[in-house]
Amino acid sequence: MRKAGTREGGIRFRQTLLSRYLLIILFAFMFIPVIFPLTSIGYMVMQKNANPQSDYLKYGNAASLEAMWHKEASLLSEAQPERIDGRLRELKQAYPEASVFWVDASGATRLQMPEQDRLPAQWTQADAIRFMKASVGGDPYTVVAFIGQASGAETGFMVMQMPRSVIEIQNPIGVDTPYYIAFIFVMFVFFIALSLLFFRHIRRRLLRLQAAMAVHGDDGLPMPVVQTKPDEIGQLEQSFNRMVEQLKAGKERERAEEELRKRLIANLSHDLRTPLTVMNSHVYSLRKEALSEAGQAAVKQIEQKIAGTGSLIDNLLSYTLMTSGRYPLKLERQDMLRLIRESAADWYPLWEQEGIEADIGLPDESVYWRIDKEGFRRVLDNLFQNVVRHAKGGRYIGISVEAHGDRQILSVCDRGAGMNADSGGKGAGIGLAIVGYLLSEMGLAWHTESADSGTKVLIYPK
Amino acid sequence: MSAALLYIEDDQEIGSFVSTHLKEQGYEVNWVTSGERALEAAAGCRLVILDVMLPGLDGFTVGQRLKKAEPDIPILMLSARTSIDDKLQGLQFADDYLTKPFHPDELTARIEVLLRRSGNRSSAEPLAIKHLLVYEQQNRVENGETGEEITLTGKQFHIFSYLLRHLGQILTKEQIYEAVWGEPYIEGDKTLQVHIRYLREKLERDPAAPEIVETVRGIGYRVRK
Repeated sequence: MRKAGTREGGIRFRQTLLSRYLLIILFAFMFIPVIFPLTSIGYMVMQKNANPQSDYLKYGNAASLEAMWHKEASLLSEAQPERIDGRLRELKQAYPEASVFWVDASGATRLQMPEQDRLPAQWTQADAIRFMKASVGGDPYTVVAFIGQASGAETGFMVMQMPRSVIEIQNPIGVDTPYYIAFIFVMFVFFIALSLLFFRHIRRRLLRLQAAMAVHGDDGLPMPVVQTKPDEIGQLEQSFNRMVEQLKAGKERERAEEELRKRLIANLSHDLRTPLTVMNSHVYSLRKEALSEAGQAAVKQIEQKIAGTGSLIDNLLSYTLMTSGRYPLKLERQDMLRLIRESAADWYPLWEQEGIEADIGLPDESVYWRIDKEGFRRVLDNLFQNVVRHAKGGRYIGISVEAHGDRQILSVCDRGAGMNADSGGKGAGIGLAIVGYLLSEMGLAWHTESADSGTKVLIYPK
Repeated sequence: MSAALLYIEDDQEIGSFVSTHLKEQGYEVNWVTSGERALEAAAGCRLVILDVMLPGLDGFTVGQRLKKAEPDIPILMLSARTSIDDKLQGLQFADDYLTKPFHPDELTARIEVLLRRSGNRSSAEPLAIKHLLVYEQQNRVENGETGEEITLTGKQFHIFSYLLRHLGQILTKEQIYEAVWGEPYIEGDKTLQVHIRYLREKLERDPAAPEIVETVRGIGYRVRK
């Protein structure tokens, strides 16, 4: 294609398929360096907005709670149990979710808020160890602190138990990872779908164009397509339409030439036959005059010659039309017996008039050949005419269709003097040339046997 | 018998000869030389003889317009062109077709056939065929010798009148069947033969040696005058 051709349509770069394809490729390239970080940032921003960290742990985390408890415990002393009770009550109020109790140096459980059944009333060393073991890493979170400055077996201790949900972040980082992966996955699917749609769209348009090229309209030419978009395929469609236009114009020109040729031949035929008709009319007038026997015979001769010349002109011009391909044959399945009967019916009166005995032997069953109706008629006309014109002397025409093996053979025979004899009505050549041409065009073969005692023409499918 | 014929021919020599010839045969002839005038003159005529090659409007166009305006008037085409493509085109509207050079007697014969076929003979004069008198207008067939009326069934009359309309012409069994029954002939159908046998039994003096409805061996049937 010429370079100028692509510019002719005047399409802008952003309208091209190329630009759209580049966009998709760009998207693919941006996937790792842009989409991933972007997703992460987006995720983090969302996280922040959804769960502001400050409100989240109202008492601080476990460590700060533990530090607070130890501090409180160190400020109290075993010697003042009422103060301990009072302080625990205050703390309970400050931390309503917590359960608190304390145990004095003798191992007796003192104030419990709320009351807990499973706590022993009197703690042994083993109880203390079991309790500690059960509490480590468990829920609630348990803080044990010795009361007062001193520490040892003789000191009491106070315990705070806090549900972990209060002091630990419920959704730590990493809980949302599936969403993150899903988002990446969605982006990936989006990319695949985009590429798929892009190519499917191109493919559909190409297929549509291909179908348009395969489908032919009434004139045997492809139909123009509707131009969809001003991109490369759109230009292809445009070129295709231009080509269809050119084909149409070519076909039109060819048809016009054919028409001209036909008209020329028609005019030629008219110009040749009109004087013949005039001659004919004068001869006819002449016949009505008082003529000697020789004069009558001469008039008859002239009439015959005029008729012969007329059909010769017809044959000649028809032959010209046919052989230049201006007479397309339409081959169809036809009952050839029917065509023979109809043709013979037309000729029969003339045969009777000329004293020709017609012997017609056609089978009852139809015989179908793939032939052109008018073409086959013309073959029969020419053959029958030859019999009338050249084999009148035999006073016989035999038309028969007989089966030979699996094929039917049409035979037209006469008892004339044969083709080599001078029948006085020369000019059979062009008539038989038409027969030969038409038969071969219709896929039929023919064979002529001519002897002094008559001529036999056999016609059969190849 | 006089009948008004419209004759369209641009060639002076042929035109004057043919119109003289037809007048001698007893026809009233209206000869015009162009297609435009033909369309005006067509009203009231009984048959149109049309030449294909005309100056101005060509014969095919004239013929098609005439057929449209007056579908009942038969048209006989005269042509000096090659028969190869004119014949088909012409017979789309023309009732018959004759190529130049034609014999004047042939022309008169064709005109007679066309006039009879179109049923335009208004006279109640019966058609005499051998011993029969046929009153086509009244769908009546009479034995001319005895004066007895011969009653035919619908199909028998239909077949007989189709043969009469093509008097002298040989018709194949397919042509008759398709014209009378109005459907394509089915191979091996004997219906027509049966009907013709009954028809002969009614019409012929000797049904074994038919004179009226002739069998043309291998081709078909014919009724002659």
